[in-house]
Amino acid sequence: MDTLLAALFTGTSRGAIYALVAMGLVLVWRGAGIVNFAQMGQAMFSTYIASSLIMNGYSYWLAFFVAIAAGALLGVFLDLAVMRPLSNKKQTELLSSASMRAAVPVIASLGILGVLQALAGVFWAAEERGFQAPFAQEGYTIAGRVMPFTSFDLFVMSVVTFTLILTVLFFKKTGVGLAMRASALDQEVAKLSGIRTNGVRALSWAISGAASSLAGLLLTPTSNLSPYTLDLALIIGFTAAVVGGLDSLPGSVIGGFILGFVISFVNYYLTPEDIYLAILAVLVFVLVVRPRGILGGKDTRRV
Amino acid sequence: MLEVRDLTTSYGSVVALNSVSLTVVESKITTVIGANGAGKSTLLRTISGLEKPASGSVTWNGESLLGKRPEEIVRMGIAHVPEGHAVISALTVEENISMGALFRRRTHKNDIAQATEELYTLFPRLLERRKQLAGTLSGGERQMLAISRALVSRPSLLLLDEPSLGLAPLVVEQIIDSINVLSQKTGLTVLLVEQNANTALSVADYGVLLSLGKVAAYLPADELKADASLRAAYLGY
Amino acid sequence: MFLAASSFEPYNQGQLAVTLTLFIGILSIVILTGISGQISLGQSALMAVGGYSTALMIINLSMSLWIAIPLSIISGGVAGLLLGTVAARLSGPYLAGTTLVVALAIPSIATRFDSIFKGDEVLEVDVGYPPAWFVRAFGDPTYEMWQFYVALPFALLALFFASNLLLSRSGRVWRSIRDHEIASALAGVKVSRQKVFVFTISASFAGLAGALYGLRGSVGPSTYPTSLSLLLLTGAILGGIRSIAGAFIGSVLVVFLPDWIDLAVHSFELSEQVSNYLPALVGGILLILTVVLNPAGVAGGSHLHKHK
Repeated sequence: MDTLLAALFTGTSRGAIYALVAMGLVLVWRGAGIVNFAQMGQAMFSTYIASSLIMNGYSYWLAFFVAIAAGALLGVFLDLAVMRPLSNKKQTELLSSASMRAAVPVIASLGILGVLQALAGVFWAAEERGFQAPFAQEGYTIAGRVMPFTSFDLFVMSVVTFTLILTVLFFKKTGVGLAMRASALDQEVAKLSGIRTNGVRALSWAISGAASSLAGLLLTPTSNLSPYTLDLALIIGFTAAVVGGLDSLPGSVIGGFILGFVISFVNYYLTPEDIYLAILAVLVFVLVVRPRGILGGKDTRRV
Repeated sequence: MLEVRDLTTSYGSVVALNSVSLTVVESKITTVIGANGAGKSTLLRTISGLEKPASGSVTWNGESLLGKRPEEIVRMGIAHVPEGHAVISALTVEENISMGALFRRRTHKNDIAQATEELYTLFPRLLERRKQLAGTLSGGERQMLAISRALVSRPSLLLLDEPSLGLAPLVVEQIIDSINVLSQKTGLTVLLVEQNANTALSVADYGVLLSLGKVAAYLPADELKADASLRAAYLGY
Repeated sequence: MFLAASSFEPYNQGQLAVTLTLFIGILSIVILTGISGQISLGQSALMAVGGYSTALMIINLSMSLWIAIPLSIISGGVAGLLLGTVAARLSGPYLAGTTLVVALAIPSIATRFDSIFKGDEVLEVDVGYPPAWFVRAFGDPTYEMWQFYVALPFALLALFFASNLLLSRSGRVWRSIRDHEIASALAGVKVSRQKVFVFTISASFAGLAGALYGLRGSVGPSTYPTSLSLLLLTGAILGGIRSIAGAFIGSVLVVFLPDWIDLAVHSFELSEQVSNYLPALVGGILLILTVVLNPAGVAGGSHLHKHK
């Protein structure tokens, strides 16, 4: 029973973070038409910045917000420096093939990931660091028994819930949010409505960068920080996004929690080494049974 | 006033517009008619910035439109309702309309509310369905919505591409009438592309007959309508 | 050429062997991505399959090198067949993401079932020593040179087969799938079946590369990390993803670029931190630049390749 409770709690708090990662991927997919495989590399980079600030004596909270801002800026930079020139490229023989046109942004984002990981080496010697959050990592003790959730878990849950609510309000109620939704759905009609689609696209990169940096900040306290720790988060986020539907923001949240529970249960009831296989199983299952995902629309199937 | 001079637009090796010149007179309805593939849609798409011409010029009140992005051209007071897909099905009627005025939100909040109300008065069916997804609307309602999206920003020039496509004659009449009334009341300049030459020429002040990318005739509408030989040669009736 | 090579340092000789090995691996990407347009990040997993099967056969069944290595072609192919049946229904980022997960999941099988695969304890295998007749004919090579000599026939074999494939009818069919999938299907091509077929063939190349790669000394879960997939992809893109010459150029670049970079920055007094990661940084930047500016790679627009 204890194990079950622990698994549920961990599943919820981790699931919330994976929802953030998935959301970031979906935002850029909708806004720019690519899956940004470098996303968690950006998060790793921002988290290293935060870590360095903390190591140099600045407060956690300052580092926290600087990291999120850095993530947003890095996202915009990548859009302007790499992805924009990529999509403006004239037709060459190689690019006349539809499958190569789809492959090129994937390869570019992998290149970005490699560069970010190498930069982590250049700037911070790629050293593995601990990353302490100012919250207790031990469970609360209630009535003499240690509960399976910690104050850090509560922090994670509240931050993510707040972020999700903010995101929903942003997209449903604000003009910018409407502009973003419109551009993602039909770029031509959006342009004809006077929406500056280039700015909107940069904004999706910025928001995605911020969300993923937040996810990185929330993930690293329970593991160590190294250039590669967040790679697992990327594939979990990707799987979560596919499960929920790559073009659906609510879907990415659902997918995140599903993955959170699956991984949590695998951790508690099987062995941690089984995680990769579990993720693969979930991914293959969704792609075979319902490729568009739980909430995905039918015209986005690339399968 | 919209001035088009020697405009040439190609798609690869296909020349869609071949040195087209015309003037769209202020506050009047000019219609562009012609057979399928004559280049009518390309003309509108080049003016609104969706297509880049190979040569020629397009000026609106003296200012050149070439090289500007579509979203900037909208801000100059030119609204384009493309043919076919002009509304976003996954957004509600309300959202589709407010989409058209987003770029003015900061400066013209009250006017937008006013404009929206006027449009709901003009198209009451939209008011009824304002919280529904645009994808659930009928063809005629979608066209009304598309036009509303364009008009909510109070443009000075409306580019309307084949509003009658796939619609019942009664609905077409209603829509064209509304445009006519609007133009009379507000001085809106309209460039109307239409397959249905008869309907178009009955409301228009001027008519441009486009054939294979070239201007075959540019006359006051009633003259064009009355010219049987032109009609036979280019429109087949 | 062999005489010149034998005067190299053993380190460089070892690099020659790795170049041939990675050449075979990059060929698998040329076939899969360059010719049939399917992007896969799972080559490292397929190499692992080849490497592990060869190592296990040598260790557990005392099989000879010259039988175990060719069998990796088959084991790789089988793995490719399995992977292909799922992957052939996918495209674009779905395919890339799924193969990435596969690349991460396969090595974890080694730790999961460590009774068979020895987990973190690596399997130690190597290319052994040259037979007596070889020593009589060519003199006694260093260990690294012998690695090169072992890899050479397989690299030539791979070159021969790849060349035939690219020129064959199958090659044309795959290119048509890459460029005009819908049109091909309408023309009667069984697209799914062909895609699985390409996966299988490409995987057999990768399996072979994996076997040779593992024979440098050890086969373990960290011998075939995902970064190996990316390394192969980088080599393929930089060299030219559509040609065999491109694959060779790519393998040379990938193996020797780090040394050339070190030489180039030798005069600048860079900290160890920077110089350690500079090759990776340069590699990543080159990849991005190539993809943005000249996606066809070095061999791309030249006459070095016979076919698109």
